[in-house]
Amino acid sequence: MTVRWFPDEMPLPAASAETLGWWEAAADHRLVVQRCTDCGRTRHPPGPVCPGCRSAAAELAQLPGTGTVYTFTVVHQAFIPALADRVPYVVAAVDLDGAGGARLVTDVVDVAPEDVTIGMRVAVAWEDMGPELALPRFRPIEEGGA
Amino acid sequence: MNAKNRRRPVIAGVATSDYPYLPELSEHGVHGQVADRALADAGLGLAEVDGFATAGFFPMYAVGVAEYLGLRPTYLDETNTGGSSFEVLVEHAAYAVEAGAAEVVLVTYGSTQLSQMGRRLGTGGGGRGAGMPGPAVHDALWGNTLVGNYAMAARRHMFEFGTTPEQLAAVAVTMRDHAVHNPQAQYRDPITVEDVVGSRLVADPLHKLDCCVISDGGAACVVTTAERAADLPKEPVHILGGAHASTHHLNLSAMGELTTTAAALSGPAAFARAGITPADVDVAQLYDSFTITVVLTVEDLGFCAKGEGGAFVEDGGLGLGGRLPTNTDGGGLSSCHPGMRGMFLIVEAVRQLRGECGPTQVPGARVAVAHGTGGVLSTGATLVLGKEAP
Repeated sequence: MTVRWFPDEMPLPAASAETLGWWEAAADHRLVVQRCTDCGRTRHPPGPVCPGCRSAAAELAQLPGTGTVYTFTVVHQAFIPALADRVPYVVAAVDLDGAGGARLVTDVVDVAPEDVTIGMRVAVAWEDMGPELALPRFRPIEEGGA
Repeated sequence: MNAKNRRRPVIAGVATSDYPYLPELSEHGVHGQVADRALADAGLGLAEVDGFATAGFFPMYAVGVAEYLGLRPTYLDETNTGGSSFEVLVEHAAYAVEAGAAEVVLVTYGSTQLSQMGRRLGTGGGGRGAGMPGPAVHDALWGNTLVGNYAMAARRHMFEFGTTPEQLAAVAVTMRDHAVHNPQAQYRDPITVEDVVGSRLVADPLHKLDCCVISDGGAACVVTTAERAADLPKEPVHILGGAHASTHHLNLSAMGELTTTAAALSGPAAFARAGITPADVDVAQLYDSFTITVVLTVEDLGFCAKGEGGAFVEDGGLGLGGRLPTNTDGGGLSSCHPGMRGMFLIVEAVRQLRGECGPTQVPGARVAVAHGTGGVLSTGATLVLGKEAP
C-alpha cells in the first residue's frame, strides 16, 4: 500500500518496554506475536509475563500474515476527530494464522463494508505512518481450493 | 437477633439526583445532592457516617469527594471497575459492616458527563480512544470506538446464534416503555422496533437507539447493619450476596470469545452466596450501555440459555409482567446514563423491594438483582438484594 489512509492527526501508540519490539517489527513490515518460550502460549497485546505459566521468557514469533475475520463492525460515527470524514470504515477482530489463538483488532480495507463477512480470509497490508511506524491493516484474499 | 444477624448488611437509604441535565452543578455538587438525600432517606446525619465509597477517573477520587462532603471516614473504597464499580463498592461495604470495620457506609456517585461535553467544546481534545491508557491504544489506533467493541460482540452473537437487529431493538423498546412512566427520564416518547432499526447506524449493527443516552446525574445509598437499621425510618433492604469478575482490560483482542462475559463468573457466585437461583429473582436492574449488553447479561446470569437471549427479549421477557421485569426506571437506554450507571441499578432495585415504584412496581417483588458491566465487556458485578433477611 503506497497511499496513506490514516491522517497525520491520528493518535500514535506509546510503546512500553513490552510492546516496543512488536512495533519495531511492524515498522519492518513483519507481523509477529509474542510467544512464551517456556510453555508456548501466545498473547496479544504483548505483556511482561505469560498469563498461563508466569514465565517472563518470550519471543516475537514471525507469522504468515494471513488470518480470518472473527467479527467486525462498520463504524459510522468516529470518535477520533481525524477520522470523522472517513466513515463508514470497517474495524475487525482477526484471528491470526499460526498465532495460537491470538487475535488482532485492526481494520479491513480494499473491500466495500457491506461485503465483509465473518469467516472472510484476509492478509496483512502495511500502511507506513512514518519511518518508525507502520500499521498492519488487512485486505481480503482469494485462496485456491485445498 | 443473634450476634451474626445483628451485623447482617442492609441498605437503609437510597437517593437519585435531579437528572438528566445539571449544568448548574459541578460533579462534587451532584455527590453532595445525593449524599444529603440518601442520608435523609435513611434518617441519618453525616456525623453518623464512618465509611465512604465512590469511584471516579483520577487517583484519590474518593478522598477528594470525602473532603468536599466534610467526612473524615475511617473506611474508604474507590475501587474502579468501570460501569460495574458501584455494585463492587456496595458488595465491599457489606463485607465491611459485617466484619465490624464500619457502621454506616455512604456510597455516592456523581457525574456531569453531559454538560461537560458542552464545556469542553473548542479545546481540541482528541476524542474518545485518543486518550486511552497503555495497551488500549492497540485497539483504538485503527479507529475502533467504544460502541465498536459492543458492535463486534453483537455481530458475533448474531453469527453464532442467529440473533437479529430486531431482537436487539426489543430491549430499547422495552426500556422506553418503562421510561414513559418516569417523569425524570431523558426520553419518554414510546418507540417501536422499526424506530430503533431505522435510526442511524453508529457502529453496525448497533443503531443510535441501541446506545445508551449521555446524561448528568448521580445516585447514592447507605449501607449499615440490620441492627442499626432497626431504629431507622425506612424498611431495610438486605444485601443477600454479591460477586464480581473481570476478563480483560480495554482491548477486546484480549477478551477471548466475545459472546460470554464476566457476568458468567460473577452471577453464579453471587447467587450461590445469596442462596438463590435465577428462578427466585422477581425483578432485575441490568446494565444497558447498549442493547447487546442486556442480551449477553440475561444469558450469562442464567435467566435463559446461551444463545436464547434474543428470543428472551423479543418475547417481552424484560417487560412488566414478563419473565424478568428489567430496568423499571427506563434504564440507561432511555432514562439516565452519566457514564457509570451502576448506582442507579441498586437504587431502583431497593425501591422495587420497598414497593415504591408506582406504575412500574413489580407486584410482590421479594428478590432483586442489580448487575453492572464495565469497560468493553471487561468487568461484571452482581448484587442480590432481598426484602427479607436470608
